[in-house]
Amino acid sequence: MLKVNNLESGYGPMQVLWGASLEVKKGSITSLLGPNGVGKTTLLRTVFGSIEPWGGKITYGGEEITHLPTHKKVDLGLVLVPEGRHLFVGMSVHENLIMGAYLKKALEHIEESLKLVYSLFPILKARTNQRAGSLSGGEQQMLTIARALMTRPRLIMLDEPSQGLAPKLVSEVLETIKKMKSEMGLTILLVEQNVEASLNASDYVYIIHEGTIKAEGSSEKIKGSRDIREAYLGI
Amino acid sequence: MIGAQLTGNLMQGLILGGIYGMATMGLSLIFGVLKVVNVGHGAFIMIGAFITLWIFTAFGLAPVIAIPVALIVGMAIGFVFFYLVMRRLIKAPELASLLATFAIGILLEEIAKLIFGSEFRGYNWAVGKIILPITVFPMSKIYAFIGSIAIALLLYIWFKKTRAGTAVRSVVEDSEGARVCGVNVGWVYALSFAIGIGLTVTSGVLLTMFIPVGINPYMGGGYTLKAFVIAVLGGLTSPYGAFFGGLIFGLIENGSYTLFALIPGVEAFAMTRFLSFLILLLILLIKPTGLLGAK
Repeated sequence: MLKVNNLESGYGPMQVLWGASLEVKKGSITSLLGPNGVGKTTLLRTVFGSIEPWGGKITYGGEEITHLPTHKKVDLGLVLVPEGRHLFVGMSVHENLIMGAYLKKALEHIEESLKLVYSLFPILKARTNQRAGSLSGGEQQMLTIARALMTRPRLIMLDEPSQGLAPKLVSEVLETIKKMKSEMGLTILLVEQNVEASLNASDYVYIIHEGTIKAEGSSEKIKGSRDIREAYLGI
Repeated sequence: MIGAQLTGNLMQGLILGGIYGMATMGLSLIFGVLKVVNVGHGAFIMIGAFITLWIFTAFGLAPVIAIPVALIVGMAIGFVFFYLVMRRLIKAPELASLLATFAIGILLEEIAKLIFGSEFRGYNWAVGKIILPITVFPMSKIYAFIGSIAIALLLYIWFKKTRAGTAVRSVVEDSEGARVCGVNVGWVYALSFAIGIGLTVTSGVLLTMFIPVGINPYMGGGYTLKAFVIAVLGGLTSPYGAFFGGLIFGLIENGSYTLFALIPGVEAFAMTRFLSFLILLLILLIKPTGLLGAK
């Protein structure tokens, strides 16, 4: 569904991605693993378009989208749940969700979408008029995912959705991600610091290091390969 | 006696403050969305003043007619400068955008000087006055005040009720958050800059309706400084905060002028400027997010 070929990008004069390639199959949870600062976030941000690609090619559903602006990608159903949440903290929970349905296509289905995210995250319904900034860390993370679901995505890229959460909440977030795949038929590209949890949740795994993909395989294969785990994941 | 004079001057200050507030909304909008301080702010006010003068003297039309003209001309100028200059500077270091807006200001002032010369001009739009026991309000001042409030209200409604306004608010809060919701952030930057400049040029019309003299290419500098103080009073990123900051500033300026004038040997007008910078300094020291700022 999503194909990334030889992607290069970076910040200012600093190149971070040096020809990374990967593929996300429709209906799968694909994980991108690797130590800190090797290009995981940069890869997601470049695919989404928050950072302009320097080279390489991105295709989505057979269409080339390498230099497509972000709002057109959201319209095609490709959305990012960014690291650091980026909620509208001065707006209410409800207003944040409405913002998720900003584009016309999403706006047409806003009632349906609201019902869906409130059933997926009942706590958000209870907090609907509260300011997003006043929510707990876990609730804010749920709201970030819920806001992304309001865009009616087909492929959702999640950048460290469990960052800063207590262990119990980490597994809750990963359960939700599995539900998004099994019950809503979404395709997911996941970047997650928690290697063990992420290997358990995903179907296919890429290992990224120094801006390129060093290894890949089904999550069983990566789990079973001591070499890969020791070399790149430290477990 | 001094009580009546002070009350009268405070009433004038409230009306001028409403116009000051409106004259700062564009600055706050541009800073809130683009994180760019428009150092050339005053030059756009000057354009509005000349548009008013031109409409009044060349066509004999009421300065009120200049309001929509200034808004449209201002937005057009805003779009041109955005796509020519500002678009490339959003991600550049702050110094680059400061220098660019400073240069735009000088460019506009010199163009105005070429066209109109540097002498002071004025006009006299006599449409009656309201005479109170303690002060006199020419109707043009009243119209300018009503105009300011109407424009501030319209902007508020636009922000809260329209899709474009919502998009702008989302970018002010978090541009990456707006991007992942599908907001075309590049367009929001362009639109906000154009509206910000449009509002500023329009405020030039309203300011000359209050003070119909002293129109010249370099008149903007003083307004730029006042707008900075008002923007800080109002919390920098909020156009409505700026409006209320303007009301407070107008009251302080006129009130303190009356009181300073009582002290022998004191240049009252200069002292009001001193006071406004003292206020700016104190706010930045004590509450840098602005008196009316949220955080």
